[in-house]
Amino acid sequence: MPPSICAVCNTNRALILRPKDHSKLCKPCFINVFETEIHHTIISTNLFTRGERIAIGASGGKDSTVLASVLKTLNERYDYGLDLILLSIDEGIKGYRDDSLETVKRNAEQYDMPLTILGYAELYGWTMDQVVEQVGKKGNCTYCGVFRRQALDRGASRLGVKHVVTGHNADDVAETVLMNLLRGDLPRLSRTTSIVTSTPSLTPSSGPVADNTNIKRSKPLKYAYEKEIVLYAHHKQLDYFSTECIYSPEAFRGSARALIKNLERVRPSAILDVVRSGEDMARLVPGSDEGCGGACGSSAALPAEEEEGGCGSAVGKSMASVESQLAANDRAVEHNLETEITLKPAKPTQPPSTASSKGQKKPRAERTGGPRKKGPNKQVMGQCKKCGYLSSQDVCKACVLLEGLNKNRPKNKIEVGYEVQDVSLNSVRDELEAATLAAEG
Amino acid sequence: MSKTGRTGFSLSVVAIGNAEETVPIDDLLDDVRSNYPGYEYNALPLHDVFRMIPDDATLQDLVPGPATGNDQSNKQQLARLINSLTSATARADVLSTLRTRLIVEHAKSTGCQSILWGDSTTTLAEKTLAETCKGRGFSLPWQVADGKSPFGLYFHYPLRDVLKKELVSYMDLTEPVLSSLVHEPSPGATQASTSSKNTTIDDLMKQYFESVEENFPSIVSNVVRTSGKLQVLESTDADLRCGLCDMPVPGSRFGIHGWGGYQQDSIETSAVASKNICYGCTRSLPQPTTTTSSR
Repeated sequence: MPPSICAVCNTNRALILRPKDHSKLCKPCFINVFETEIHHTIISTNLFTRGERIAIGASGGKDSTVLASVLKTLNERYDYGLDLILLSIDEGIKGYRDDSLETVKRNAEQYDMPLTILGYAELYGWTMDQVVEQVGKKGNCTYCGVFRRQALDRGASRLGVKHVVTGHNADDVAETVLMNLLRGDLPRLSRTTSIVTSTPSLTPSSGPVADNTNIKRSKPLKYAYEKEIVLYAHHKQLDYFSTECIYSPEAFRGSARALIKNLERVRPSAILDVVRSGEDMARLVPGSDEGCGGACGSSAALPAEEEEGGCGSAVGKSMASVESQLAANDRAVEHNLETEITLKPAKPTQPPSTASSKGQKKPRAERTGGPRKKGPNKQVMGQCKKCGYLSSQDVCKACVLLEGLNKNRPKNKIEVGYEVQDVSLNSVRDELEAATLAAEG
Repeated sequence: MSKTGRTGFSLSVVAIGNAEETVPIDDLLDDVRSNYPGYEYNALPLHDVFRMIPDDATLQDLVPGPATGNDQSNKQQLARLINSLTSATARADVLSTLRTRLIVEHAKSTGCQSILWGDSTTTLAEKTLAETCKGRGFSLPWQVADGKSPFGLYFHYPLRDVLKKELVSYMDLTEPVLSSLVHEPSPGATQASTSSKNTTIDDLMKQYFESVEENFPSIVSNVVRTSGKLQVLESTDADLRCGLCDMPVPGSRFGIHGWGGYQQDSIETSAVASKNICYGCTRSLPQPTTTTSSR
């Protein structure tokens, strides 16, 4: 049989079977279609504004590398007028992060973007290697996920950047939608599917915080398939690092990921179908006042709390532990072993609006249970008393974890000196030295 | 019934045959009737959905082929519709949708107030994830939760708190044994199929939750509780409905075009969006080919 012809230009030989819809394309058409789709995503959601300074969260992996390459290309082709920089977080994992950061340095030269590297050691006084020594490999992803999310925002805040983009793709979003369904986490569903979220500024300010001080977080590759990202990187011969983190056992996420891959094999569009369902379900979450469910962009940015996708997720529990917790909850409800203790909320909370039930009342699902919950409790975002970061508690999670680590710190000091790559971070070093002196005192 | 002081209810049992008509629903229903003679029984073939919705033109429009077939029988229309679908997942999806519509129309015509579905916890969890993976997240509240449906009837799931394996145990423990009344699909139906061409999303979710149910039963019930918390928006009654599944589509966002994942297509094929088909059903139905494919 004769070779297939490209479905777009009808001229060249088709060399690529597109994972998204199985159309046959030649190499230039695939690259153009991939870039144009991301352009349409950016335009339709009003992701960027002219003159905006954008920090690309760069890890050296394929997603952030493709994101940097595509954004540079589209910025030049369609004249977005953006100021693009690279921002990397060094978790301090020898043999893994130091090698991937070498890739980011090469990318900075290839794309002519300024690069800033910020390390856990400077921000928290702990590297992940030290954290693993202290707490073991079992729960270290919780520390890393909490630290990294805050580190990215603090780095952006120090650089005066208001917008951080990450390389989360459609597979990551679909995976997180399924995982939240399996774990019963409805409030996170809205934040998962929204293409833009924002974090209040780290700078403590007296009086109300203005909107322009928020740091936005967006995902331009939200509708791009992971396989297409790999194909794009391959055909453009991009330089990226592909080793997985050496500390991350992710059984629960692994279950959702295996399910996603099986779905993709059965029906290629299932990944986008899950993303679409996630957006639609976000509107159906009670107490959620986000009308568009993430379909429209920056007009109403959602407050972000947990990071979606990627390694180091703070919610990475194993399937067995979630099961035992749920089973214990069911047992307690069944035997009335638990008495609901009502605490006064630390901050005044508006009760969630309950939709009036019309017509016939729904039968009660639990006959022996206590008072019925009125849907998931909506979290009220405030500021951490210690560092001023976004938190629904008085002290944010990173500070709590850091306090726990510092209490068990061994007597012998371990000196780890990382060079600060950018002179603009001298103030950070001075502040950290002051914090270290205060901690020792 | 009057002993409890409550208003009694009468039960109407309905059995739907499958598309290939390989399940002997009449014989099965006779067996059940002999055990429980007090109820009303009906056996309907699946293609009756075309008879019971005569004024709904959108369902007729979905059947491809020449429009001269006014004398086409319902059975032939169903066969042409199913044969036009391109994948096993699409066929299973459309058949399931038509079955639901037939049950609803039959319940309406016989004056029923509610429909009792036989889904267990495991089946509801499978359906939750299967519909999510088919792009029908917007209609989950009506598919898995008790309460009023968009069809004017009430939907109830009495077995929603019972796992499937518990149902199987119950059948063997009762006197007389109920397992002889249950129609079993072919024994290898739930085995993992190596060929992905014949596997459907529903099969995949069935395999997944049967394995999850063995080791982590609370996660299965947690999925059902989670989807049960989703609430219908208040503006539902004003929304237009899908021509195939008849669900109200919030914001009337029909079709797969014009959405974030498919922005590029919206210019070329906006004319095709005249049909009111929801995202999930658009996925199953064949796309009209506007471009001359040279493959």
